Amino acid sequence: MSWSRRLTTLLPRAVERDNSGTEPDPRFTFANERTFLAWSRTALALVIAGLGIVQLLPPFPRVPAGRHLLGLPLIALGAVLAAAAYVEWVRSQRALRRGDPLPHSVLPWILAATITGIAIIAGVVLLVSALR
Amino acid sequence: MTAPQGRGRPADDPEEQDPGLARERTSLAWTRTAISFAALGGAVLKANVISGLLVLAVAPVVWQLGRVSRSRAARTDLPTVGATRLFVIALTIVAVSLLCFLVAIFGRSAPLGLR
Repeated sequence: MSWSRRLTTLLPRAVERDNSGTEPDPRFTFANERTFLAWSRTALALVIAGLGIVQLLPPFPRVPAGRHLLGLPLIALGAVLAAAAYVEWVRSQRALRRGDPLPHSVLPWILAATITGIAIIAGVVLLVSALR
Repeated sequence: MTAPQGRGRPADDPEEQDPGLARERTSLAWTRTAISFAALGGAVLKANVISGLLVLAVAPVVWQLGRVSRSRAARTDLPTVGATRLFVIALTIVAVSLLCFLVAIFGRSAPLGLR
């Protein structure tokens, strides 16, 4: 399947028309929805953290762009996480309908990579501002 | 599952006694998400008043979306009811992130490299 075809299957209209499989237990549907909402809040928290770093933190001595180096990636990854959470919800819902095993989730990986990357950037910025 | 639940032996999962609890928890999750939008709006407000008000205005909309989900889920047994709502939430977060990105770069208290 081409990329554009694959993207159109993610649109809400296509998802709502998908009649494959059978209606899952409503509790599973609710749980899937809650998982999506929890990831959405995590994405919002990343954006809040990024904005807080840029706006509220005192500037790093000798590293004038330090706050932006930390904050802007956090905000961008908040957007990525929100989009990925929706894709994940569609895939899980489809698997629930068809009785397939739930698909492998990439979201924890994205979050872990984000936090690791930010921690490394923070360490470098702190070292540079302390040593120079 | 079909075994009678005696008074002295509660079900392992409380939801087996009352599936409505799942709906209740989902409703609360919507409320928390709305509050998260409000928190972000407050944070943006400090940097840029107009953007902050814009994000704050999203919070009651999200709260209302959660209420809609409850009433609609009670009426229909459509499987993917709410794909549109969740899509809107994801899209809103992407848009708000973009807004915050711009606010972070051009915002009042943080001119790049000046402070």
